Amino acid sequence: MTATLSTSEHVQSGIAVELSAVGKVFGRGQQAVAALDGVDLTVAPGEFVCLLGASGCGKSTLLNLVAGLDAPTAGEIVLNTSRPAVMFQEAALMPWLTAARNIDLPLRLAGFGKADRQTKVAELLDLVRLSGAGTKRPHELSGGMRQRVALARSLAATQRVQGADEPAMLLMDEPFAALDAITRDVLQGELLRVYERTNTAVLFVTHDVREAVRLGQRVVLLSSRPGRVVQEWSTKDETNESLTEEITARLREVISTHAKS
Amino acid sequence: MPSPEVQDLSKVEAGLDALDTPTTTQTEPRRRRVLRAALPPVIALVVVVAIWQALWAAAFWPEFQLPAPLAVWSKFEDLVGTGKIWEVLWTSIHRAALGFLAAVVIATPLGLLVAKVRHVRAAIGPLLSGLQSLPSVAWVPAAILWFGLNDGSIYFVVLAGSIPSIANGLVAGIDQIPPILPRVGKTLGAGKLAAARFILLPAALPGYIAGLKQGWAFSWRSLMAAELIAQSPDLGFGLGAYLNEGSNYNDMAEVLTAIFLILIVGIGIDLLLFRPIERAVLRARGLTGALT
Repeated sequence: MTATLSTSEHVQSGIAVELSAVGKVFGRGQQAVAALDGVDLTVAPGEFVCLLGASGCGKSTLLNLVAGLDAPTAGEIVLNTSRPAVMFQEAALMPWLTAARNIDLPLRLAGFGKADRQTKVAELLDLVRLSGAGTKRPHELSGGMRQRVALARSLAATQRVQGADEPAMLLMDEPFAALDAITRDVLQGELLRVYERTNTAVLFVTHDVREAVRLGQRVVLLSSRPGRVVQEWSTKDETNESLTEEITARLREVISTHAKS
Repeated sequence: MPSPEVQDLSKVEAGLDALDTPTTTQTEPRRRRVLRAALPPVIALVVVVAIWQALWAAAFWPEFQLPAPLAVWSKFEDLVGTGKIWEVLWTSIHRAALGFLAAVVIATPLGLLVAKVRHVRAAIGPLLSGLQSLPSVAWVPAAILWFGLNDGSIYFVVLAGSIPSIANGLVAGIDQIPPILPRVGKTLGAGKLAAARFILLPAALPGYIAGLKQGWAFSWRSLMAAELIAQSPDLGFGLGAYLNEGSNYNDMAEVLTAIFLILIVGIGIDLLLFRPIERAVLRARGLTGALT
């Protein structure tokens, strides 16, 4: 009962994830490195937010904190979603399982019945347009196909046997950075298509301004060492080109402050 | 933001999938593959026997040191003809197999503990590696004093020989798991037990199988050492005892027959049992580099 109550409360509040004054320091004493400092960020249910920054801005650290793989040293993270699913730069599929069995794994861990799992795996394979490749092993797939299997697997990981009304959350850590330009372009389109067909919120980390502007409804720029929120833009009001230029200029400015002169 | 290009995306994607998918090489017909694999060792064997025959014909060494290949062959035929070979092989192989299975049962949880519990690794990890370099013959005198001249001694030596290899193989297998896989497992919702069952153990399988292979080799050679040294009517008549008999009678043909049989059993079990398993496991993961 309490779970149902709190869910409806969160739907009203319109917040999937809320980070307040989140900080993360690695190491102790003299060697301590502040990766994140006072980060405030909210993601609404079903919203697509891109986190943009140069290397060392703690983008990945932030994602790990939200994923629960690491704990913040300051501040608070409130999740109103089911356990967030994560997609990494490498597909990280289990090499001993077929594509279908990889997607099946989180469903199995969540305790779905066998028949249920079969239909869900078929649906997800279809969603990423890999219906014919379910029996292939990861090494028999191209990089782009592997990332699509990983995407389907993350979507599977957001599903729960009970509590289906909880909003889903997808965390993506530069998932297309290792792909060639053509494949990356196609997969960005695929991600948007899949995103529109699901109700999941997405927090997408990238260092590619064009990618951030194309994908996100909101683009959040982080500074480096320590990572702080510098500025954010909505992609609704402006054309993509002018916004890309504007954000690129601001990103360059932020990076320039790190030059040792 | 749906863009018009999304419409034909599926076609572009299908094209990319077709272009980028790694091509799998056509496998040879089975008969040719077997032939290609079997031919080089057969030729090597023929050459060795030919040199042996030539050396014997030149009479460099007296007959009791180097018998003719045919003399060894007729000794082997005797062994088969009298049916004694089955007793000898059964005694040794069933012991080695039982000892090996017991070693697997003991070494697997041991390996998991060493790999996953830091203090256990610090305490007995180096010992486990060190034990691998200790020849198992060294355990025979101690085993006989502890257990007496019976099967207990033999099994102790076999276990002492194979447990370190199997446990070390499992530890190596777990150590070589790419760290991203357990992390992914965590984000997919795997708790400690589920992670061990669905991620750690399958991911460590190639290393574990390598350990099993080596464990079998060690248990076989430990058994031979034990059978050769520990002599008693209670112990049955295995390959080691047969070898010892040949030595006692100064019968070089029998000694060589015993050595060949020990080799054949060791290689045969590796080829018939472990190779196919290893092959299937590696092939499923696309690790075909070592397999031709």
